[in-house]
Amino acid sequence: MGRILIVDDTMFMRTLLKNILFSGGHDIVGEAADGAEAVARYRELKPDLVTMDVVMPKVNGIEALKAIKAADPSAKVIMCTAVGQEQMVKLAVKSGARGYIVKPFQAPKVLEEIKNVLSA
Amino acid sequence: MKSVPVKVEHEGKWVPATMGIGEDRFRIDAPLNKEVLYKSVVDLEEKKNQVVVTTGANGESVYHIASVEKVLAVLKKFIITQASGYRLNAFFMSPAVRGGVLIQDAQWEKGAIAVMKTGIWFVSQESQVCIPLGDIAGIELTSREIQEKDLNVVKIDHLGENEVVTSFVLCPMTTLQVLYNFLKEATYGSEVSEEIDPLTGQVGMLVYSGMDSGTIENMLKLSHKELDAIYEKLLGMGLAEVLYIRKEVQLTAKGVRYITETVKSPMD
Repeated sequence: MGRILIVDDTMFMRTLLKNILFSGGHDIVGEAADGAEAVARYRELKPDLVTMDVVMPKVNGIEALKAIKAADPSAKVIMCTAVGQEQMVKLAVKSGARGYIVKPFQAPKVLEEIKNVLSA
Repeated sequence: MKSVPVKVEHEGKWVPATMGIGEDRFRIDAPLNKEVLYKSVVDLEEKKNQVVVTTGANGESVYHIASVEKVLAVLKKFIITQASGYRLNAFFMSPAVRGGVLIQDAQWEKGAIAVMKTGIWFVSQESQVCIPLGDIAGIELTSREIQEKDLNVVKIDHLGENEVVTSFVLCPMTTLQVLYNFLKEATYGSEVSEEIDPLTGQVGMLVYSGMDSGTIENMLKLSHKELDAIYEKLLGMGLAEVLYIRKEVQLTAKGVRYITETVKSPMD
């Protein structure tokens, strides 16, 4: 089980992810609503894994991912985006994302992906 | 023609039979004694360890055949490549996304696609994938980056085993447009014409994600009655089906007495 930071600009998606991850026995150590806050929270909390929304105001998820990886190359980040934005995958993978989930998603598959990334 | 042992459904019972699989036809010996040309097949359905083969323009004959995976794979390949139906050579990726999780090692496979009466089949050297038309949740003509180029693809969202799966088809644009139109027509009637309010949409999203009623009520601060009304709306629009009915109960006097007794300490 992991200590997870959830990054998404909508409260609804953060709550949904929190419920899914909590049901999988994970510990939600923090939340952030944009990329800049995510980088600050990552430095402060040092989570085992981050779920990162791609499209967010101010600093987007890809930029936040790059900043987190620059500060901690071993950081485990799973990107999370809406249907139709799958083109961002390559960019995210190039930038160091360990996994990618597309909204809408199903709880068992999300938990499986989190488990895979945490154990890698 | 190679002969293999199979079981076939005959007069409502599964019976052992010998089946011959040839280049252009299959034959089922006694008790059916039937020979079927692959080109007369109009539909092929897949169930666990069995296939259902329908022949004739109006589906006059239906054969239920059960066998080991290897035998069925050979039979399916012959049928898919010769059956009566819309067929094209294409690249496909199935599954590419499973339950919202992108499969990073998913590969494009070179093969053929056959659209039959009740399903679409992808067949390659390595795999045979069937998507029943009734399980298709969405079709989209979109683009995808393949070998550093943006290419047009048809994206098909469909229901798998308790999960939503996304598959992609890649072929020349003209063929892609034909496939897209064909699938649109075949799945006509499954589109939502009514407007859905944001709260109902959120409930739908939570159901999709696997949340139960209690969690949805907590997350959206809804009462049991409010959530029930939204469920009714989803049911009425054909967007959901009843999985089971949850009961809310209160104790009778007998129940209250029992519970009170059980919590009494021996000293009381």
